[in-house]
Parts: sequence; structure tokens; C-alpha cells
Amino acid sequence: MAFRMWKKAVLMTLREKKLFSVFTLIYTSLIFITSLFWELAITGEIGEIAGYFVLIFFGTSLFLSLLYAWIIVSRNRRTWATLKCIGYTNKNINSLVTGKILFTTLMGFIIVIELLFHYTAVIGYLQSAAISVSLPLTLIGLIPVILTSFIFIVVQMVAIVLANRKILKVRPIIALKKVGE
Amino acid sequence: MPIDKDTMIEAIDVNKEYRRSGAIIRALADVSLSIKAGEFVLVQGPTGCGKSTLLNVLSGIDIPDSGKIIFDGENIARATEDRLSRIRRQKIGFVFQDFNLIPTLTAIENVEALLWPTVLREKEIENRAIAALREVNLLERKDHYPVQMSGGEKQRCGLARAIIHRPRVLLADEPTGNLDPESEKQVMDLLKEINKDMETTVIVVTHRGSLASYADKVVKMEKGAILNIK
Repeated sequence: MAFRMWKKAVLMTLREKKLFSVFTLIYTSLIFITSLFWELAITGEIGEIAGYFVLIFFGTSLFLSLLYAWIIVSRNRRTWATLKCIGYTNKNINSLVTGKILFTTLMGFIIVIELLFHYTAVIGYLQSAAISVSLPLTLIGLIPVILTSFIFIVVQMVAIVLANRKILKVRPIIALKKVGE
Repeated sequence: MPIDKDTMIEAIDVNKEYRRSGAIIRALADVSLSIKAGEFVLVQGPTGCGKSTLLNVLSGIDIPDSGKIIFDGENIARATEDRLSRIRRQKIGFVFQDFNLIPTLTAIENVEALLWPTVLREKEIENRAIAALREVNLLERKDHYPVQMSGGEKQRCGLARAIIHRPRVLLADEPTGNLDPESEKQVMDLLKEINKDMETTVIVVTHRGSLASYADKVVKMEKGAILNIK
């Protein structure tokens, strides 16, 4: 049942094209930049400053994830209230909201990993064709990506907790108020 | 337990007050009402008379300040939120004045949505949704989004969503409030048909006196109290 709710959450997320595109793009950029700066922090290429940047991106992603959770709950208050009216429990609605948040983040990761694979493929091709490029074959290693995913899991957990608390406060009676009331 | 085993819903000395801008509004004043299984009940009255509040407390959407609501043998006035949700999912169908369809879902998905949190298989849910849409003559619009449907079609879709789980009680809050006369007749005829064919108890809240001919029982309300029952 939870799996079905997540599947439906994906369907509903994909239908909200604008919101989904904007936040997927933001997450993709953040995941990419955070991973890159982790890489730089680990290799020590730009010194200690890389660590500070990672912290800044952590804060930014926390803020944006909370914003996304808030938008998902607030913009659809009437939908959640209607679902409560027709028999959804808080747990059912939380499954939908959690699915929406996690799917958007997952898409960001998939795009970043896809981009990194393509980058390596292009550089590898250029090197095999004896075209000199001054870029490394692997832009970001596995460890920075794992560290970034850990950060994003923590951030999304905070966002999911916030969303779940907000869902509890949505009263079904909201669905019965006339539009604009 | 209800006094009469045929009684589907019973409200006993129900009171409900609201605070609005510092003032206390008595929405329900010692309301007692008994509705039998399979009855078609119309709750009528002017705006602000408490008819929607009555519907809300009968369905467990709102909690009365005092009194009992015996729904199918169970006092729901003090039930937990989760218990109330389950009762609504299993036994109650809801029709809203503003249709309340999810804009990002098609007609069939809106109808199916009620059964998503159940253990039923996807195919079974789809079959039931198709049957419900056929029942309200909306099958040809099953892949349309709410924005692509007229008011009457949206309400019929809402009606299909309300009956997909074969509820024992169908509650409708001003179901024809936003419809033209032709769509109003279609929706009311469908409600009557559901009442007859499925033996579903139907409770309709409306301010329109013209709908009284559909009902077995008309409850008139004024200032939070029941004026008379005919």
C-alpha cells in the first residue's frame, strides 16, 4: 500500500510540471556543486575554503528543502483536506508528501550521476582520440557523491518531518469551505 | 447502540459553538435527529442556520461540543481522528459544493484516489472506478482533467468518487449550489437513483426549497435548531 501511495506521489509530482522542474533544477545544481566542493575539500586543491562552501551549500539545501516541503503542503491544503474528508488518514497523506519530496531529490541525483557519466565518456573519447584536454577523466569521485547524498538524506528527513507536522494541522473541514472563503 | 436497529445515524442533544471575531455563534443548539438506513433526507434552511455544521458533525469532520452522534451503532463524537478517517473511507461518501477534484488527476484517477490507500489490487480499483463513472454517465470523459470538464461533469465525477466504495451513507453539501438547472436535475436524479438502487442513505444539505420533492424526509433548520421535520 505504501508503495502504491509513493507511486501515486510520483504521478502527482510529474503533473505539477512547473514546481517539479524548478526544484529538480535547483536540487541538481546544489547536488552537483556540493559534490564538486567535497571533491575539492578532499583533494585539498583550494584549501580549507572548500569546507566552508560545503557548509554553505548544506545550509542552502536545508533552506530550500524546507521551502519545498512548505510549498507542497501549503499550496495543496485543500487537496489534503479533501483527502481527509474522503477517508485518508494522516499516515496516508504523509506517504504522498514524503514520496513527492523524495522523488524530486532522487531525480536531482540521477541527473547529476548521468551528467558525470557523460562528462567521463566525453573526456575519455577525447583522450582516446589523442586530443589533448587539461581536464581530469573523473570530475567528481564516488566518495564526494556519497557524502553529498548523506547530507541530502539528512536535509530531506528534516523537510519530511516539517511537512508531516504541517499535515497534522490540516483540518478536513477546510475542504468544505467555499472557494475563496 | 441505536435505539432502532434500522437507524443509520442518530444525533442526540448535539451542541456546537464557534468563536468568530470575539463573538460566540451557536451553530447547533440541542439538535436531535434520527435518520433511518436507506432514507433520502434533505436538510434545508437559510445561510448560516447550521445545516452544514450538522452535516460536518454527522460525518465526524467536526466534533460537537456536547451530545452524541451514533453512526451505524458507534458513537463517533469522541472517536480518534484515524478512526473517523477509516469510518469515512468505509461507510461515507462525500459530495462537495465546489467539487473538490484534484486538478492534477484525470477523472478516473480522481475516482480511484479514494481506494489508493486500500489493499485492493490496481485492476480492481480501475474496474470499480469505471463502474462508478458509468453509473454517473461520465465514462467517455474518464481521461479528462477537471479543468476540461463542465460544472455538471465535475459534480458527476465527484459523485462517482463518492460511490466507488459503495458507502452506506452519502453526504452532499449544497451539491447543486454551483450548477445550472439542467445539471442540477441530472445530479439530483443521480442521487435519487443511488439512494434507490444501492439503498444508500442520502443526506443533502441545501438552501433550495425546490429540491424537497426528491426527499423522504425534509429537515428545516433555523438559528442552529431544527424547526420541523416533514
